[in-house]
Amino acid sequence: MLLVALAASCSSDDDASSDLTGTGTVIIEFDNSMAGDDLLLSASSYTNSQNETLTVTRLNYIVSNFRLTDEDGNIFTYPKDDSYFITSEETGSTEVVLTDIPAGKYTSLTFGIGVDQEKYLQGAEGQGDFLSKAEENNMMWSWQAGYKFLNFEGTFTSPTVTEATNFQIHMGSHGSSLDNYKETTLALETEALVSDDLSPIIHLVVDASDILDGTNKISLSEQAVIMVSEEKSPKIAANVSTMFSVDHVHNGDGSAH
Amino acid sequence: MKYLLWIPLLLVLGSCHDDSGYIEVEEDERLAVTIPSNFPPMVYDIEENPPTKLGFALGKKLFYDGKLSANGFISCGFCHEQRYSFTHHGHQFSHGIDDLEGTRNTPSIANMAFFSEFAWDGATSHLDLFPIIPITNEVEMGETMTGVLEKLQADSDYQKAFNAAFEDGGVTHENFLKAIAQFMVMMVSYNSKYDKYVRNEDGVTLTEQELEGLSIFNEKCASCHNTDLFSDGSFRNNGLPPNPNINDLGRALVSGSAEDNYKFKVPSLRNVALTAPYMHDGRFGSLESVLNFYQNGVQDSPTLDPLLKTEEGLGISLNDTEKLALIAFLNTLTDEEFINDERFAEY
Repeated sequence: MLLVALAASCSSDDDASSDLTGTGTVIIEFDNSMAGDDLLLSASSYTNSQNETLTVTRLNYIVSNFRLTDEDGNIFTYPKDDSYFITSEETGSTEVVLTDIPAGKYTSLTFGIGVDQEKYLQGAEGQGDFLSKAEENNMMWSWQAGYKFLNFEGTFTSPTVTEATNFQIHMGSHGSSLDNYKETTLALETEALVSDDLSPIIHLVVDASDILDGTNKISLSEQAVIMVSEEKSPKIAANVSTMFSVDHVHNGDGSAH
Repeated sequence: MKYLLWIPLLLVLGSCHDDSGYIEVEEDERLAVTIPSNFPPMVYDIEENPPTKLGFALGKKLFYDGKLSANGFISCGFCHEQRYSFTHHGHQFSHGIDDLEGTRNTPSIANMAFFSEFAWDGATSHLDLFPIIPITNEVEMGETMTGVLEKLQADSDYQKAFNAAFEDGGVTHENFLKAIAQFMVMMVSYNSKYDKYVRNEDGVTLTEQELEGLSIFNEKCASCHNTDLFSDGSFRNNGLPPNPNINDLGRALVSGSAEDNYKFKVPSLRNVALTAPYMHDGRFGSLESVLNFYQNGVQDSPTLDPLLKTEEGLGISLNDTEKLALIAFLNTLTDEEFINDERFAEY
């Protein structure tokens, strides 16, 4: 709460933007949770509105195509080839670091979940080492040479499934027939200030309970392994796109959270 | 009648800023990509990845290198043999590492640059990314992309070859996939007897029976096997009774849609006389059996292609004379120049 208060007091300084010059780094922290509780892999269990109790063992997802909009509506698009990241609760890699961001007062953040068709259809061009990262993080659907946008796994019980049963939710695009890439735009109530001296941290809370228990209700008791489902995968993709919210923005030199 | 895209480009490679006195500079050059006049436009964007002498040579080296598999023995060329138009002759299913067998028959990789979806079920829509599928399939090459790259990075010959072939050299996935794609893009089969006949080349003519076969083909087969690629690239259920031991759902495995159950990509018929066994699961040993199936064996199902379900019944009506003529015509699609082209040969 102290951080929030401090951040708010920074942005209330009306003269700040005129002093912002050069470039800085923007760090985006993806703080994974389950309906307000901290997400602890292979430990805590979480009961959702469908009366299903989940223990999560894996939560990995691809975030991409980062864009920042400033107070005047100018959009800064992070270079596309460098704009694909895997966040993994398993490995603890839950930060995205965007470098060389032009100085400014940024009021909203947009990003995609997954890999867009435009990128996919570039083939090898601009791949960088993303294939290796995807493989390391279990985000490759090797049999269709595509990416899992979301890999969410664990065990669950419910009134009808009383033995702990594995669940696997792998969501991605379905070849050329179904595009599950989605984008989300989050307003930054506290502007993120970037300059040679200022590198803000945008702290997002990710409510992973939305994956199954968001706008669309996905019952594990009905189907516990969902990988390529024409009906359910788009619903999961829609749920995933709503699971991000801004908790706070910490303006500073990026060294402290 | 054919024309070549011929854009010479000399790339001077090597460490130009090396001041050791002697500088070894290997000259790369862009290769001419064949676009036959009787083909539809090429789908592959060669400007994104223009085949060059050294890129192609690297792609060929990779294609024939067992390092791409987990046990070091299964190369791409193991299942894609040139003399059978890059299919796995005599094998119903692709044979992988540790004697494991897949569930599908190895398709030809001739003329892939003219297609937009790859594998029997269209599991990828970019040729560059296709090699990921067999390399990582546990019953084919059983490797990981990361594992392959580590092996290549540890090999000084490959380090040199990658650096020479690509401006932003280095043994990376991007360059790895581009090199293999360059090799495949160059594999254009376009000099069969039929091609020379349709392009009016060298005074080649078809026999009366072959012409009759062509006319029957155009009437009864060419709605799916269309253009001079002999495939419209679509996914269709041709009425094969599913093999109960496998029950391969085909395109539905990619799309997740029940409407795609048992649909497979319409294969090209180029060099079809060489690519037995036939169908996605290699169930038929001869072209006669294939035609007998279309005449008598088509099974109805909710996703059967409507073209195979007419007022006259299921399948395609063919008499014995017509079948012989069709086979005579299909034999004119064999391209001896392609299967003997030394540019693509392993040895």
